[in-house]
Amino acid sequence: MSTSPSIPAMTPTTRRVRAYFAPVNRTQAQPAVFDPSLNANFSLDSPPAPWIDLGWIEAFTRKSTSKYGVLAAGSPANTQYQVRESLDAVVSLRFTSWSKLTMALAAGSQHMNVIPAATPVSGNGNGSGSKGVSAVSLSATGSTATFLAMASTDAISFQAGSLVAVDVDYTGQTGYVGSGVSAAYVLSAAAVNSDPDYIRRVTFNVARVQSVTSTGLTLAQPLIAGVPAAAMKVQPILGFVDREGGSFFQEWSALFVIAGDQGERIFYYYPRLQAIGGAEEAATPLTAPAATVASSRPFTSSTASANVANLRNAAATHTTQAGSMPSPTAAQMLSPAHGNQSERISLAAGFRALPVTDANDGERVVCFRTFIPPVFALV
Amino acid sequence: MQNAKDTFYITLRNRLTQVNPARTILLRSVTRPGILVEEAESPMALPVLDAFTLRWTGLAILPQLPLPLAQMTCEIYYSTAGTQPNSGLDRGRALEEMDAELQQMLSPQCAPKLNYTTTPPGAMLTSIFWSEPEFQPAVPLRDQISRTALVTVWSWQEAGER
Repeated sequence: MSTSPSIPAMTPTTRRVRAYFAPVNRTQAQPAVFDPSLNANFSLDSPPAPWIDLGWIEAFTRKSTSKYGVLAAGSPANTQYQVRESLDAVVSLRFTSWSKLTMALAAGSQHMNVIPAATPVSGNGNGSGSKGVSAVSLSATGSTATFLAMASTDAISFQAGSLVAVDVDYTGQTGYVGSGVSAAYVLSAAAVNSDPDYIRRVTFNVARVQSVTSTGLTLAQPLIAGVPAAAMKVQPILGFVDREGGSFFQEWSALFVIAGDQGERIFYYYPRLQAIGGAEEAATPLTAPAATVASSRPFTSSTASANVANLRNAAATHTTQAGSMPSPTAAQMLSPAHGNQSERISLAAGFRALPVTDANDGERVVCFRTFIPPVFALV
Repeated sequence: MQNAKDTFYITLRNRLTQVNPARTILLRSVTRPGILVEEAESPMALPVLDAFTLRWTGLAILPQLPLPLAQMTCEIYYSTAGTQPNSGLDRGRALEEMDAELQQMLSPQCAPKLNYTTTPPGAMLTSIFWSEPEFQPAVPLRDQISRTALVTVWSWQEAGER
């Protein structure tokens, strides 16, 4: 008989939480699926399709806001049964990187690409950009997720290092638009001025150009929608713009992973998340206040080195798991509060979880928490 | 705690051979990677230049967990006088190289704990893990410049482990 050594059920320890998002197919109402029975051991640097790695996040908190009620009977009344009156949960976090995807997730509504204005500018300008320069067509064949084939006369209008949006012309479609990700919901052609650039203005199918040749553009990152269709066109963009307001709610599937120091993993899979707040930022000072700590013996007898060795910056430890759910509006906003200190600006995001049906038992749920214990730990 | 201290040192030593194989020291007639544990060597009047010296200082035990959790402070000291061909004028660059090497040696911030009192080392059930380094200000002293980085190392105390 053989026995394997074991340790008690352990307390997970970790420093960071990693976030992965995947678009929900809005037209068919299908969230992206994370199945722990298939993918629990995936490499954190290369998540399974269709999950997109958005890196380490901070201030990740989640909270159940489901409401419970009781059925009481008797005199005096005493609880006989409990019932779930509502099912609800919220998630908040901060993205440390700014990108098309993180900005859009944090903003929650339509997220627009800034297309360079055509000249002469028509009208008096517009907060999300004026009528843009003309888009160029792709060649019928030869394009891939990282290469845009086009005529040499079109390619020379782009520069290495520039940004491009790749999507179809708007031709009167209504409903969800955008390749790869449902980027907006169009009620009518009139609402978007029948602008042929509208879909490229909101699309997530964007990338940076790595190099330009006579046959097309090589991209520094793959397009989120994969190989572009020949009907798509390419338009340069300068950056991104979002707004406080808007009627559209983006919806994403999210997966948050805590990788413990003993090899354990905790997954939080939210099949459907929608933003519950507008665009907000949180500012954190780059430098922590210096503090004197108990000294240890200096490595040399030098007084100077001893004095310096006794100094220690009290590094601000960052907890990823707060005890309570911070309000998205409570984020530390950009202000003179930190004087002339340098600050790093994070994107603050808050989400409400929407339900799906678990195929195993038909229950309506908003989140799946999976725990993969460390090797040797008793369960 | 000794298993954790040994594991931390050996982990950093092995990573140093990958990060910069050329960083070696001659100690007790043996050429070895440029990292040592102060308490495991003969007392030295001066620290070894261009090498990492580990000094274990703080210790705390968190007992209220499934296993006692040892929390140890390791001060990692390194100094340089630059290179002779450059008359030591490159000592700032040399220190920056050691800063970068240490950052690489400390990542990832965990390693399986081994018992080095046996040959070959025995695998234990848990891993040690450590904090981000807190780099202290560089200290110039005559022709040398030095720095200390503070790292907190944690280790679950397994059954029978001292």
